[in-house]
Amino acid sequence: MNHRGGWALIQRTWLSWMQYRSFFFLLAFGWMIPPLIYLFVWSTAAGSQDVGGISRGEFVAYYLILILVNQLTYSQTNWTVGDEICYGRMNQMLLYPMSPLYHALASEIAGKVVYMIFVVPVTVVLALVLRPELHAGPGEVLAFIPALVLAWLLRFFWGYWLALLAFWAARSDALVAVQDALVFLLAGQIAPVALLPGALQDLAIALPFRYMVGFPVEVITGQVSGSAMITGFVIQIGWTVAAMLLYRVMWQRGLRRYTAIGG
Amino acid sequence: MRYYLNLIRQFIQASFQQELAYRSNFLIGLLHSLLSLGTGVLSLAVLFEQVESIQGWEFAATLAVLGVFMTVGALQNLFISPSLESLAGIGGDVLSGQLDFTLLRPVNKQFLVSFRRWQPFALIDLALGLGVLVVAITRMGSSVTSTGLITFVVLLASGMVVLYAILLAFTAMVFWSPGFLFTWVFSGVFQMARYPLGLYPGWLRLVLTWIIPVGLITTVPVQALTGDLEPAMLGGSLALAAGLLIAASWLFRVGLQRYASASS
Repeated sequence: MNHRGGWALIQRTWLSWMQYRSFFFLLAFGWMIPPLIYLFVWSTAAGSQDVGGISRGEFVAYYLILILVNQLTYSQTNWTVGDEICYGRMNQMLLYPMSPLYHALASEIAGKVVYMIFVVPVTVVLALVLRPELHAGPGEVLAFIPALVLAWLLRFFWGYWLALLAFWAARSDALVAVQDALVFLLAGQIAPVALLPGALQDLAIALPFRYMVGFPVEVITGQVSGSAMITGFVIQIGWTVAAMLLYRVMWQRGLRRYTAIGG
Repeated sequence: MRYYLNLIRQFIQASFQQELAYRSNFLIGLLHSLLSLGTGVLSLAVLFEQVESIQGWEFAATLAVLGVFMTVGALQNLFISPSLESLAGIGGDVLSGQLDFTLLRPVNKQFLVSFRRWQPFALIDLALGLGVLVVAITRMGSSVTSTGLITFVVLLASGMVVLYAILLAFTAMVFWSPGFLFTWVFSGVFQMARYPLGLYPGWLRLVLTWIIPVGLITTVPVQALTGDLEPAMLGGSLALAAGLLIAASWLFRVGLQRYASASS
């Protein structure tokens, strides 16, 4: 593997993205809105008394952290890699002396930095206005870091293997739309997983989507702890490994089928 | 008038013929619509599983707000957004200079850029939105009066005018700052209209009523149904709709004068 070339590619991509930062700020603004809506709705609902054992300030803290985590783990390769295969731009990437995974990583890192420049100041201002309540000790923070890294890995490889379906089907974006709806419902956006009614909660705990966004937030806000947290980590690691394996299999099988003209 | 209606019919026909060439897109469109219906209703169900009512808003009335949001959004995607996006969006006519050909035509320019493109798949969303609305109104039951219903329809229409005027005004700004996607900013803020304004904190409620008045589009009509609407608010929102339409049309005319075509 050519890591030095990969690093150069990452730097190049980041610099070219910074040129178009107002465009990416707009994208980040759009992605912030849905969790922000639920922040307001739940904190209004908990205005006079706790809802499901969570107070107004705790809802604010939960959603502000969720906005950051969602932005950090958001997988844009979902959309871009599929297009590259469909339109035959994958040709150029295959000619580079390194794995095409580096292209995805490069835009991933470039994107994260550009989005954070926008999202962090906005979140800080919101935190000053909305007075969140966060009681996170060193234990919670220590558990949060691996949960966040795993969440990013899981979402990245999950999005990547879904995108690789484009090797077989021209309109694989339909499946991506289904998975976005599931992320919206089950990843802790519409409500913390603890507040979901019975069947939905069981689904959320079993399926991978909660472990892409909601789980790290639950860990740092103390909504999940003890044995429930350990079970959570086990499921999260399980899904991450599964996603990486799926990526490898799909990539090797798919590449054999891939044909394109020109490039 | 007859002439303009005839033109609209021609635009619809041309757009539908274009879209029908890609039939598998219909299934994908249907899937997207059903997903957004499912997520919208489920998220409300989860919320009202935990609380009876928030600031006086109960499940049925909140569902009605969602129904209005979906209906209005569907109408927006039926023709307003596709038409205006083809003017000011990415690769739009203002940037490419294609607007030259629009300006040469002997028809009102604002009419032409507002009705030119239609997107038939939005009809699915329209049907689903109206369905949600009917279910919500049935669930609200006896509290809905016939005057409430008539006021609701009037306010729904004026909400549509408000939405059109805002979109036109944001679109017109492309003449001052080409390349900046003003309508994207608005569509982010418009997302907030899927919940009643009462669920937001006070300062945000004021912003969403008077500065970027998305609340007038969805919350105020439903207040007419629940009987919570003050007469002053009815007059105020109708006046604001008329004012916004005039101001947006003026802004579009002034902006159009700045248009200097592309380099060719």
